[in-house]
Amino acid sequence: MTQFGTWQPKIRGKLFYNWPQGACEEALRFTSAGQLGGEPYDVAIVGAGVVGCGLAYRLSQYDLRVLLVDRLHDVGEGTSKANSALIHSGYDAKPGSLESKLLHEAEADWPGLAARLKIPLDPIGGIMMAVTDEQERQLEAAEKNAHANRATDVRILSAAEIRECEPNASPDVRGGLLVPGESLVDPFMASIAYAEIALANGVDILLGADIAGVELGQPPGAPLHHLVTADGHRLPAHRIVNAAGLGSRRLADGYGGGAFDINPRRGQFLLFDKSARPLVQHILLPVPTAHTKGVLVAPTIFGNLLAGPTAEDLPLDDPAATHTTVEGIRRVVEGGSRLVDGLARQPVIATYAGARCACSQGSYVIRHNDGAPGIVTITGVRSTGLTASISLARHLIDGMQKELGLELSPDSAALDSRPESAWPGWWRRPFENGATDARADHGCAVCFCEVISRGEIRDALDSPLKPRTMDALKRRTRALTGRCQGFDCLVPLAEIVSGHTGIGIAQLTKNGPGSELVAPGQAEVTA
Amino acid sequence: MIGGQHFKVAIIGGGPAGIGVAVGLAKRGIGPVVLIERRAEVGGTPMGYRKKPGGVPTFVEWTRGRVVFGEELAGRMAKRLAKTDTTIRLSAQVTQIDPAEKRLTLLGPEGVCDVTADAVVLAAGAREQTPAEKGWLAGARTARVGFTRHITGWLDCHGLLPARKPVVVGSDLIAYSAAAKLRAAGSDEPVMIDRRRSPSAGLFERLFFRRWTRPDWSGDVTAAGIKGDRSAAGVQSSDGQDWPGDGVIICGELVPNTELALLGGLAVELPSRQLQLARGQALSEPGWFAAGNVLGGFHGAQWCYFNGRQVARRVAKFLK
Repeated sequence: MTQFGTWQPKIRGKLFYNWPQGACEEALRFTSAGQLGGEPYDVAIVGAGVVGCGLAYRLSQYDLRVLLVDRLHDVGEGTSKANSALIHSGYDAKPGSLESKLLHEAEADWPGLAARLKIPLDPIGGIMMAVTDEQERQLEAAEKNAHANRATDVRILSAAEIRECEPNASPDVRGGLLVPGESLVDPFMASIAYAEIALANGVDILLGADIAGVELGQPPGAPLHHLVTADGHRLPAHRIVNAAGLGSRRLADGYGGGAFDINPRRGQFLLFDKSARPLVQHILLPVPTAHTKGVLVAPTIFGNLLAGPTAEDLPLDDPAATHTTVEGIRRVVEGGSRLVDGLARQPVIATYAGARCACSQGSYVIRHNDGAPGIVTITGVRSTGLTASISLARHLIDGMQKELGLELSPDSAALDSRPESAWPGWWRRPFENGATDARADHGCAVCFCEVISRGEIRDALDSPLKPRTMDALKRRTRALTGRCQGFDCLVPLAEIVSGHTGIGIAQLTKNGPGSELVAPGQAEVTA
Repeated sequence: MIGGQHFKVAIIGGGPAGIGVAVGLAKRGIGPVVLIERRAEVGGTPMGYRKKPGGVPTFVEWTRGRVVFGEELAGRMAKRLAKTDTTIRLSAQVTQIDPAEKRLTLLGPEGVCDVTADAVVLAAGAREQTPAEKGWLAGARTARVGFTRHITGWLDCHGLLPARKPVVVGSDLIAYSAAAKLRAAGSDEPVMIDRRRSPSAGLFERLFFRRWTRPDWSGDVTAAGIKGDRSAAGVQSSDGQDWPGDGVIICGELVPNTELALLGGLAVELPSRQLQLARGQALSEPGWFAAGNVLGGFHGAQWCYFNGRQVARRVAKFLK
C-alpha cells in the first residue's frame, strides 16, 4: 500500500527559528539561548549548506552534542540551492588533489547514500563533446586525466557514436568523451535529508541566526568558545566548524582565522520546459577552457532541461551574485546551442543564478585550530561540494579526531537512513502509484504545472524541519517551480500554509524576514 | 468515479470558453458531455474579479451597454451551464492525453482515472508570460514579483494590497486593469514599463481606465533587471534608468496553456507555444478542437464564451 503522510521520526534534537514576530508558530521561535539547554556543544557547525548538513549527519552517528546554525531560514538555501544538480565523477579534477580523492570516494558512496537517504538520483552518464578540431585534440589528454583520477570507465567516443546516442547533438561535433559516472540528483533533498536525520538523532538546528562574532575561550585545556548571534545570543561550544560558504571570510575574521580570499563566482542557468527533455539523453559537457568548465546542457532529475552556468567573478558581498542578466542568459543560450541543435527554440521556464564560493587559495581549503584551538575552517568548496559532501564530512571528522582531540563513541540509537515515506511526493507520486487508502487531498492538485497536491504541501509542512517559507516548500514539493512560475498556485499555496499552520497570510514570506509576499505593515482583512 | 467512462464530448477547462462549448452542445442535444475543471469552481479567470464597492469593473460586458464585475459575468455563465446535463468534474486535472485514442487521464479527489470521448475540446485558457519568457527582464529572484492573477487573489480574496509602490511590467489591457485595481485599492500611481515604444493597449481602453489610473509610462526598455535583496525594490534598465518600487507586477502578454497538447504530441509551435490550427479551430488530430484564450492572444470573457458556442457547432458537425 502506498503510504501517505510524511516521515515522522522520534526527534531528539531541537529546532528553532531565530525569527521574532516571524511566520512560524510560537513553539518554533528562538527567544533565548536557554532553549537549547545550558550544556556547551561538542561541535557547533556554522553554515547549514550541503557541507554543514552533511557534517551534521555524520556527526549525529556519534554520541556528541552538536549544533547546526545558519543565518537563512531553511537548510541548503545559499550556494547549495542553485547549481547544475549533478553528481560529478571527478574525472576532470586535478589528479592527486584533495578534491580528486573526495570525489572518487563519494562516487562510490552516492548510489547507496541516495537510496538510504531517499534522495532522487538518476545515473544517466555524461558526454564531453568536442565541437572544434582544437577541442578534439584535447580529448586524449582529458581521457588520460580521467584515468589518473581513477575514473577508468571514461573513454573516447567518435562523432558517429555520439550521433547514434544523441541525435540532436550539434552537427559540429567532432568526437567526445563518455563519462559514465555523472548522475542527475535532486540538489535540495541532499541538504534536507542530511539535516532531517541529524535532527532526529539529536543535533540541534537553529535557523535565521546570523553569527556576528566569536568570543574565544582562554587556554589552557580545551577552551570554551561562544558563537554570538547578531541579536546578542551566546551559544557555547568547544569546537566550531566554519562551513559558512561565502560568509566564511567574515566569520573567520571574528576568530582571527588565517588568510584566504573568497568571492562569489556567479553561474547563470536557463531552465527549459519538460517538452525539451527528450532532446538529450546524457549530460552534455563542453570541453573546458583554462578559465571555466563552460556551459553544459543536462536534463534535470525533475524532467526539465537545463543549460548553464556562466562563470563571472564578482566582489564579495555583491548582492548581484545571485542576479541573472539579459546578457548572461544570452551567453548561456549561445553556449548550449554549440552542443545541442535547436536549443534556442525550446520554451523556457525560468532563469536563475547561483554563487559558487571561489577561493584564490584553491578549492577545499581546510584549516584546523585556525586562529584558536578547536576551530576548523572549510572554504573554497565549489560546484563539486554537493557530490563531495559525504566524503568531505568523513574527512573533516577524521581531521577533528586527529587535530582537535574529538573523541567519538557511536550512538547505537542513531538513524542513518530515512524510510520510504520520506521520498518527496513528486518522486513517489502517492496517488498515481496505486494508492488504496486514497486521501482526497492527495488527489487535489494545487500546482498544476508539476501536478503537486494539497496533501503533499501539508506533508511537507509537517516534515521534521518544519519548513515555513515558500522557497523552503518549493524545494521540498516542486510547487511554484513549473512553467507558470507561481501564476496559478502562489495564492492558493499561501492559503494552504496559512490554514495548516495558523500563520496569517500577510506574515508569510518567500525566504524569511523582509520577503513578505505582500507589502508589509497592513492589517489583514480576511473575507 | 467516472473511470473508464466514455463521453460523446470531453471539455478540458471550465472557464467562459469551456462553458460556452458545453452550453452550445446542450442546445444541439449532444451528450453525454463531461467538463473537467482543475479548480474547485467553474467560471475561470473572471471568477477572481470580485464585486466590491469602489472596485474596478473589469471583464466588461459591453453587449448590454453596461459594465459588470468578472464574478457576476462568470456567475451568469455558470448558471447557464447548470441548466444543461453536462457532467462536471471539479478539482480534477487532466494530467495526460492520448490524442489518437482521445483518451484523457484525470487526477482528482477520487483518484486517477481515464475517460475517453468521440471529440475533445481544449479550453484551458492562458496565463501571463513569465520574466524568463519575455527574455528582456532578468535580475533578482525576490518576493513580490507577481502576476495580475496574484493581485486579484491578494486584493479581492484577502483584502491585502500586494504593493504600495508598484512597478507594472507590460502595457496591454491587462496591465492597465492591474494598475487600476492597485490604484483603486490605495497604492501610489503605478510606474508602467514595457519593451514597446507606446502602450499596447488601445486609446479607448486606456481612456476607460483613466478614471482610476494614469500610470507613469516608460517605453522602449530593451533590457532590464529586477532590483532587490529579499523583496523587489523596483526595476533598473541596462542603460541606467531606475524605477523604484516595493513590488513588480508582470502583466499580460498571455501565453496559451497548451502544455497538454505539446506533451501529448499535438502540433504546437515553439517557442511561442501556439497551437497549430486548422479550419474551424481544429487541432492536428481529428476530433480535437480548441476554444477561447488557448487559441492565443487576449480575448475577453464574453468573446471566449461565444467562441466556445461556435466551436460546439464545429464539434457537432464533426460528430455527424
